[in-house]
Amino acid sequence: MKADDMTQHLTDKDVRDIAEYTRIGLSDDEVGPMTRDLNSIIDSLAPILEYDLDGVEPTFHPIGGLANIMREDAEGVSFAQRVALENAPKQQDGSFLIPSILGDGGDR
Amino acid sequence: MMTSQPFGAMSAAEIHAGLAAREFSAAEMTASMLDRIQREDGRVHAFLEVTEEAARAQAAHIDDAIAGGAFDAMGPLAGVPVAYKDNMNMTGTHTTCSSNMLQSYVSPYTSTPVQRTLDAGMVPLGKLNMDEFAFGSSTETSAFGPTYNPWDVARVPGGSSGGSAAAVAAGLVPLSLGSDTGGSIRQPAAFCGVVGVKPTYGVVSRYGIVAFGSSLDQVGPFARSVADAARLLNAISGHDVLDCTSQAVETDFAANLDAGVRGMRVGVVPAFMGAQGLASEVKAKVEEAAAKLEAQGAELVEVELPNAAAAMSAYYVLGPCEAFSNLARFDSVRYGYCDPGHSDLGSQYEASRAKGFGDEARRRIMLGSYLLSAGVYEQYYYPAQQIRTLITKDYNDAFQKVDCILAPVAPRTAFRFGEMTDPTEMYLSDMFTISINIAGNGGMSMPVGLGADTHLPVGVQLISPAFKDESMFRAAAALEQEYGCAPVAPDFAPKGGDVA
Repeated sequence: MKADDMTQHLTDKDVRDIAEYTRIGLSDDEVGPMTRDLNSIIDSLAPILEYDLDGVEPTFHPIGGLANIMREDAEGVSFAQRVALENAPKQQDGSFLIPSILGDGGDR
Repeated sequence: MMTSQPFGAMSAAEIHAGLAAREFSAAEMTASMLDRIQREDGRVHAFLEVTEEAARAQAAHIDDAIAGGAFDAMGPLAGVPVAYKDNMNMTGTHTTCSSNMLQSYVSPYTSTPVQRTLDAGMVPLGKLNMDEFAFGSSTETSAFGPTYNPWDVARVPGGSSGGSAAAVAAGLVPLSLGSDTGGSIRQPAAFCGVVGVKPTYGVVSRYGIVAFGSSLDQVGPFARSVADAARLLNAISGHDVLDCTSQAVETDFAANLDAGVRGMRVGVVPAFMGAQGLASEVKAKVEEAAAKLEAQGAELVEVELPNAAAAMSAYYVLGPCEAFSNLARFDSVRYGYCDPGHSDLGSQYEASRAKGFGDEARRRIMLGSYLLSAGVYEQYYYPAQQIRTLITKDYNDAFQKVDCILAPVAPRTAFRFGEMTDPTEMYLSDMFTISINIAGNGGMSMPVGLGADTHLPVGVQLISPAFKDESMFRAAAALEQEYGCAPVAPDFAPKGGDVA
């Protein structure tokens, strides 16, 4: 689809806001192409807007009649702390390490 | 060594029988398959990691069982090699989802489907390439380079489970596991000319599989024969306390493969057969398969799925919304890529997720976030779930009249690398598979030879009612009688003197 045929569902500013919300740091160069791609995809979802769905119940889960099968609420073996930390990029004293979030080093 | 043919061309059943008859040892066979991967995988790039140590250890365990007389009690997959899509955790292996985000991640635990193959005595050969986080239909979005179609290495193997399909088609492994959220097992199976099964939602536990669309994802087998696929599904199916969506399924999917289709009612969907974009060579193959089933005694019945046309747009609402939620867990703190040198957490998050995720992952995360936002949710997400109700009702109505449905898998055969540049164009390759994930019932791709125009593999899709997956296996077995088992792709077929 050509760019000028598309509905402008999202502006560059909207896309910057979504990027901030989803914690994906887009560069200035990336905002334009992302806006174009997302508008094109949202355009392709148009059939949904045209459906007559009055009185139709939603199904949030396939095979709607099935029930979750829950296990008994009992203690079980879980990861050891050491194992849970094995893939952490940074750790200290048996904990995940992150930059300071309070005080002078904090980000917000 | 008394093998009648090289291991690479053998089915799971033949390997198991050879071990039981002591024609070769598991160690010998495993070493030979590892050599074959070493020698051939450069041309196909199906493997991201070869689990040589685990494979040799399991082979030794199998040889002990053979020597000790315990082998026969281990079931039909004991000693058979298998490999896994790289979104499946297996202790001590990398599980990358073909993403820079997880390049260094090493699984601290084993997923249920993988564990069940190991419990069945299967020999794990490695982890297989995929589209990044399973977002794609060509395996081109893998951060570690694409997989090549063994039938024509200038073409894509399909996706997202492209590595799983290509490894089986190239004879690098007789069986593999993939996952299917909108067609990610069935479409690559069709492109690579192998059997690929997406079971009914709930048949297989997803515990330990990196989640994409939790209401759509299902794990299933790839094989070069229907019986091999059925036996692998037998091994991995059934309830698991670690996935509360998994059901107490005790079906033997291999039980009725010789039953034939006489008296079976097979549905054909006129709207699918007349769909815009369906290549004539694919349409011709579906019609040919229908005629063969009819000749074997099946009754062909036209059925309508009036709301299936809305499945595509419903899927591209539901999939990204669920992906947005599932991929929020990649926070650069507990595991996954962490961009170095940030003094505040916000910029660490943003840089890590920007660099860790590829373009398609970013698009889907951002799209999902938008679609779930206030005001937009009511326009798209809620109606998509209402459409799910209608599509499910369509299938339920159709299955009042038929036992299974025959349809195309993909609208065309494998395309060339770089051919699809518009994301929405790529999405169309799943037009015949997506509605089944939305409704949740079973679907499988069955190879039916080569297309008349492109001379590339064509698959037909068999669709079953929910939790009656055995019906599609039965029809697939009848087609296999006509077309034969799937061959290893000609350029990869082991030669006379090869051991593997």
